[in-house]
Amino acid sequence: MKLKNHPFIFLTCLIFLVIAGFIFALLTGSGHLSSQELISLFNGTASPLHQSLVFELRLPRALAAFAAGALLSIAGVLMQVLLRNPLADPYVLGVSGGSALAALLAMLMGVNTLWLTGSAFLGALVSIFLVFSFAHSKGCWTISRLLLTGIILASGWGALISFVLVISPAEKIHGMLFWLMGDLSYDRPLLPSYFILFFGFVFAMTISRQLNILLWGDVQAGSLGINTKRLRGYIFFLSSLLTAGAITLAGSIGFVGLVIPHLVRLIIGTDHRMLIPASALMGGALLIIADTLARTVLAPQQLPVGVLTALIGVPLFLYLLRRSQ
Amino acid sequence: MSLKINNLSLSIADKVICKELNIQFNQGEFWGIMGVNGVGKTTLLQTIIGLPNNSTHIDTNMALITLNDKNIFGFKRIDLAKKMGLMLQEYEYNFPSTVLEAALIGRHPFINHWQWENEDDKTLASLALNEVGLKNFYQREVNTLSGGEKRRLNLATLLTQNPDYYLLDEPVNHLDIKAQLEILSLLKNKFSQNKQGGIMVIHDPNLAYRYCDHMLLLFDNGQWLSGKTTDILNKDNLGRLYNCPIHQLNDEQHTFFVPQHS
Repeated sequence: MKLKNHPFIFLTCLIFLVIAGFIFALLTGSGHLSSQELISLFNGTASPLHQSLVFELRLPRALAAFAAGALLSIAGVLMQVLLRNPLADPYVLGVSGGSALAALLAMLMGVNTLWLTGSAFLGALVSIFLVFSFAHSKGCWTISRLLLTGIILASGWGALISFVLVISPAEKIHGMLFWLMGDLSYDRPLLPSYFILFFGFVFAMTISRQLNILLWGDVQAGSLGINTKRLRGYIFFLSSLLTAGAITLAGSIGFVGLVIPHLVRLIIGTDHRMLIPASALMGGALLIIADTLARTVLAPQQLPVGVLTALIGVPLFLYLLRRSQ
Repeated sequence: MSLKINNLSLSIADKVICKELNIQFNQGEFWGIMGVNGVGKTTLLQTIIGLPNNSTHIDTNMALITLNDKNIFGFKRIDLAKKMGLMLQEYEYNFPSTVLEAALIGRHPFINHWQWENEDDKTLASLALNEVGLKNFYQREVNTLSGGEKRRLNLATLLTQNPDYYLLDEPVNHLDIKAQLEILSLLKNKFSQNKQGGIMVIHDPNLAYRYCDHMLLLFDNGQWLSGKTTDILNKDNLGRLYNCPIHQLNDEQHTFFVPQHS
């Protein structure tokens, strides 16, 4: 049986994977819980220590990991459509670099989380706008030109980020570095991210059939009745919103946005009506698992989850690249 | 139903593609467009369907492309897609998709926003694939197809869309000589039902002579010549078009044009 012909079975499997990821995240950690203790949490007979451990620490963190993974995966799918290249991710074009720079500046100024969220989003928007306005000059622009602009801009952001790190006071640097590597150990408001996730997911689903067609090129999409200029605007706006949502929640977690859509496409193909929900679920589940590992493998030392996803993502990506040749 | 070009002057960068072009394409007609490389055939085709690229300059003074007397640029794209379709010269597609999925995108203009393709749509796509000779290819990955098979698939997508006007940019390149005849016969039969019309960019004058009933020749300096194929396609006009002497050979069934080294 090929999963490609039964995408709903695959989606169901992914929902179970997400549930399993949550259970794994809630049970594992410095104080291991048995599954009976987990059940007792929900009928109110657990000890107050376990109550606060699970509901105040582990559950919010797992929820944050899920949202970040889902946001990045959907953003990756959209960016790959925008560039018509399966090897693109939000980071290739420097979107997250701009977002990160703005977030670091906000951290430097010591503003509250709301401002941090706002500036990270604004940074993403500025970055994606810069890439497109430079790549798109006098009406003639190619995807390679776009990529080149993005990569150059990303290295520019990288330099500015280093600059901010150098001028920052020592007590802020540890937090900044963790943020840059992608980290879920801080308590950040979940609601805005879930709102962005919900909005982004619904919006992406409403344009999903058009995304399938845009992959065939602008002229073909235009001749099939799509207003490509407007659609590109939507994709552009959505991917930056989702990236900004993810990056404010969890910093620059690498490779999720690249590897997850690619992996899901290999299993169920390119129909975005399936690809988007499947990528969101898979990205979410994998990030929950990766984050749980990040806080347990070297316990009591915590790793930034971005280090772990990169350690998994780099070899996986190289393998996929080799296979695609 | 008719597609008219009125007084169209088109240029790209400094290059003039056509000056004051006037043509009426009717249903039941199969037009061929010929001209040397880079003369602007593709640009003209894409302009007719309302998708000129950004560097194309349309002299808007009185110029009008109309479908049923309504300006092309006044249509909503989704409505225009039900009436006109385009097969591009080449496609670049890097994602895993099956042949059937690729053909099914032709149904996009006819399916409501939240709706999925239903069995009827799939039947139409399958029929189109059968017509172009891709019957056993439904579940094949697009990227595993050969050049000629991809070309057939591109046509199948357009056949699935099945618009009133087929705009075809070199539909038979990459095809073997027998397949070229099959595909062009298929199109000619379709248009001879008098419900649809075709406009095709083609390089081979012999195929054009055999299958197209009308011709548009685009000369290098923006001049053009249009009319019935039998009036237009002769060794003098072709010699002027390609700036090279052309031999015309006739036997009982066929007319052949052969370029000569000057």
